Amino acid sequence: MIELINLSKRYKSLRAVDGINLEIKQGARFGFLGPNGAGKTTTIKMMAGVLMPTDGRIIINGHDLAKDPVAAKQCVGFIPDRPFLYEKLTGLEFLHFIAGLYGLNNNGKLNHRINDLLDLFGLGRWGEELIEGYSHGMKQRLVMCGALVHRPKVLIVDEPMVGLDPRGARLVKNIFKEQVENGVTLFMSTHSLDVAQEICDEIAIIQGGRLIAQGTGESLRRKAGVDGNLEEAFLRLTEEKEDLHGSPDSSVAPRLSGV
Amino acid sequence: MGHLILLLRPGFLGFKNRLSRAHGSGFKKPAFMGVLGLVFGLVLFVLSSRVLVYFQSVEMIGDLLAKELLSMVFLTFFSLLIFSNIITALSTLYLSKDLEFCHSVPVSVEVLFAARAFSTFLNSSWMALIFAVPILGAYGYVYAPGVGFYLNLLHLMLALGLIASGLGILLTMILVHIFPAQRTRDVILLLSILMVVGLYLLFRFLRPERLVDPETALSVMHYVSALKTPDSPYLPTHWITEILWGCLEGSERGGEVFYVLLTWSTALALLVFNIWTASFIYFGGFSKAQEAKKRLMGGKRVLELLIRVVTKPFKADLSVMMAKDMRVFFRDNTQWSQLLLLSALVVVYVYNFKVLPLEKSPLPLDFLQNGLAFLNMGLAGFVLAAVGVRFVFTAVSAEGEAFWILRSSPMRLKRYLWGKHFFFLVPMLFLGLVLIVVTNNFLEATRFMMLLSSGTMFLMVAGIVSLGIGFGAMYPRFDHENIGQVATGFGGLLYMMVSALFIGAVVVLEAGPVYLLFMSEMKGRPISTLERIYMISSFSGVLVLISAAVLKPMSMGLKALEETRKGQ
Repeated sequence: MIELINLSKRYKSLRAVDGINLEIKQGARFGFLGPNGAGKTTTIKMMAGVLMPTDGRIIINGHDLAKDPVAAKQCVGFIPDRPFLYEKLTGLEFLHFIAGLYGLNNNGKLNHRINDLLDLFGLGRWGEELIEGYSHGMKQRLVMCGALVHRPKVLIVDEPMVGLDPRGARLVKNIFKEQVENGVTLFMSTHSLDVAQEICDEIAIIQGGRLIAQGTGESLRRKAGVDGNLEEAFLRLTEEKEDLHGSPDSSVAPRLSGV
Repeated sequence: MGHLILLLRPGFLGFKNRLSRAHGSGFKKPAFMGVLGLVFGLVLFVLSSRVLVYFQSVEMIGDLLAKELLSMVFLTFFSLLIFSNIITALSTLYLSKDLEFCHSVPVSVEVLFAARAFSTFLNSSWMALIFAVPILGAYGYVYAPGVGFYLNLLHLMLALGLIASGLGILLTMILVHIFPAQRTRDVILLLSILMVVGLYLLFRFLRPERLVDPETALSVMHYVSALKTPDSPYLPTHWITEILWGCLEGSERGGEVFYVLLTWSTALALLVFNIWTASFIYFGGFSKAQEAKKRLMGGKRVLELLIRVVTKPFKADLSVMMAKDMRVFFRDNTQWSQLLLLSALVVVYVYNFKVLPLEKSPLPLDFLQNGLAFLNMGLAGFVLAAVGVRFVFTAVSAEGEAFWILRSSPMRLKRYLWGKHFFFLVPMLFLGLVLIVVTNNFLEATRFMMLLSSGTMFLMVAGIVSLGIGFGAMYPRFDHENIGQVATGFGGLLYMMVSALFIGAVVVLEAGPVYLLFMSEMKGRPISTLERIYMISSFSGVLVLISAAVLKPMSMGLKALEETRKGQ
């Protein structure tokens, strides 16, 4: 399970994340939504141990990320939004590298696991090729293999569908669902409301660094007072804040028509 | 013209924004670099002036030597500029991240090429041209020519820069056009490095020091006639030397106007020729450079065997990290090709000791041999620091934007940094000891000196590696396009300076006791108690200094790397 306690991140005068509190149960499929610049990636980077919070705590599977980072990270599989990898390694070498970082010994069992993952993500025949020859989508799938290689208890995913073709996206959604069925906790940020609706059983919306709503798709729709889909609820819930900050809203299109 | 200016604007605006938004600590780096550059320029000016004043005092051939030096200076700058332009052109014309966008906008290939060529010219020329100022300024100071010299200097340096840029860019375009796209960058880098190594070794083995030692020539007349032999009349550096030398001598020889016209017409003709050539081959080359890279991996078995041997003593996490570093190093030609440069450096270093004319010195031979063996410790240390800035200092930055993988993994940063330290310690120790042992053998140094310098080097290497890893962690650049850029940045410069101070301090601390020991052995004089105390405290000082150099930079680097997790 994941606990965020009063989590904050400040960049000079900007409060990117402002006192977030969340409790996500084991085996949950948690969606993290928000407009651009809302603080999603910052939150996720803090949860992955890549960025240090200014205030607050992150507890992963009972381990405080600040006090016992090794134990906390050992439970996590992290999939960032942009797949920066070691381009001069082959896919197979990369996965062995990741496995080694998580303390897995190089043996027949590991080889089997890595080959299974490559096959699962459709990269079986690319394993011996250098990563620099992979497309964006293939790199994204390789990162996912890497995140799963050590059988994490928590999957933290930032924009998983970017760069994936429809078949790849379908595959990834199925794999996430399968992981959750096996007891893995999924924390996923996405811009795609369809993906959130399809995969997640609970959703939180962040805006201006603060949580503005949390609940199931249905409860969010009720809160927004709309009967339609999640997109309408999302637009309604984030509308007020946007107006307060003077940001563009849905009425921008008519104004642009003359440009 | 409008498009050209528009395409150049982002570069200028970026530069302007960086300057206008730099507050407080943002100014420290440029200010520090500026002061350092000024000091370096001043030292270069004083040294050049002294050399020229010395030349003037040599009868008959003084002016010939000064002109020869001027010609060599221009030739060196010209070669450096061409080399620098080749490397920069690869980035600005073919590999920059913004090129895809630039090629997608409705601007003609010629205009886009011209804008990029101009950026290449600016980026690769400014530093070489600035460093030419103190040397050429020294000529002005010593020969006190008229204002014509300075005016000619201004426009001729610009023309020389344009010609070098034109040649470098043309060569890059042709190479990219000929070689398969996936090999372009590697081939060019390899060729350039081979060229530099070849020229360097050739220059060294020609022993240019003989030129200033007229004794070795058959006769003075022979020597003078050798000096008077002109360099190639087809080289722009020859034309420029002739024009400027005329100004320095204050004599009108009639050929100057011809040479000025020749220089500028060459520069402008190259410009036009390059734009014309670009209209045919530039876009094709750019397109090929975007193609996916698939490479045959030769020597895989040897590499895997090497990896198995090296990583065997380590646990899984360090073992995979070292294996990754070795694979990346040997597959990235920009990395391992630097080994060629390093080998040339080492060969020349060792060769210099072999040809030292010790017997000509008025000092006692054994004193000189052992004195040089002692100094060799410091010099070898500097060679190691130069190697360190290329490979050890860049080790953390070499993770590039994939550093998030290590960050999010359960491996502690402290373990990561020390893992890197051990990884580089062994090859650096090997190199350091080879340098010391081989050169001391050439010098026929005593057993004591051999033991002392080997022992000191052994410990000093640990400090040099720690400084490299520590400073590399304090000044990481994960967003580099080419790892070579990292070594030449602010952090690399600081690492070199601190390493030089460290090596110098070790040598100074050991100099006193070594001198005492040597003199007591030579003169058969016993060492007094006070001298013993002095020696013990000096050697203890060395140990303390080395321990500090090993531990402190690592902890500072660790702290700095942890700090980067806080973000901007």
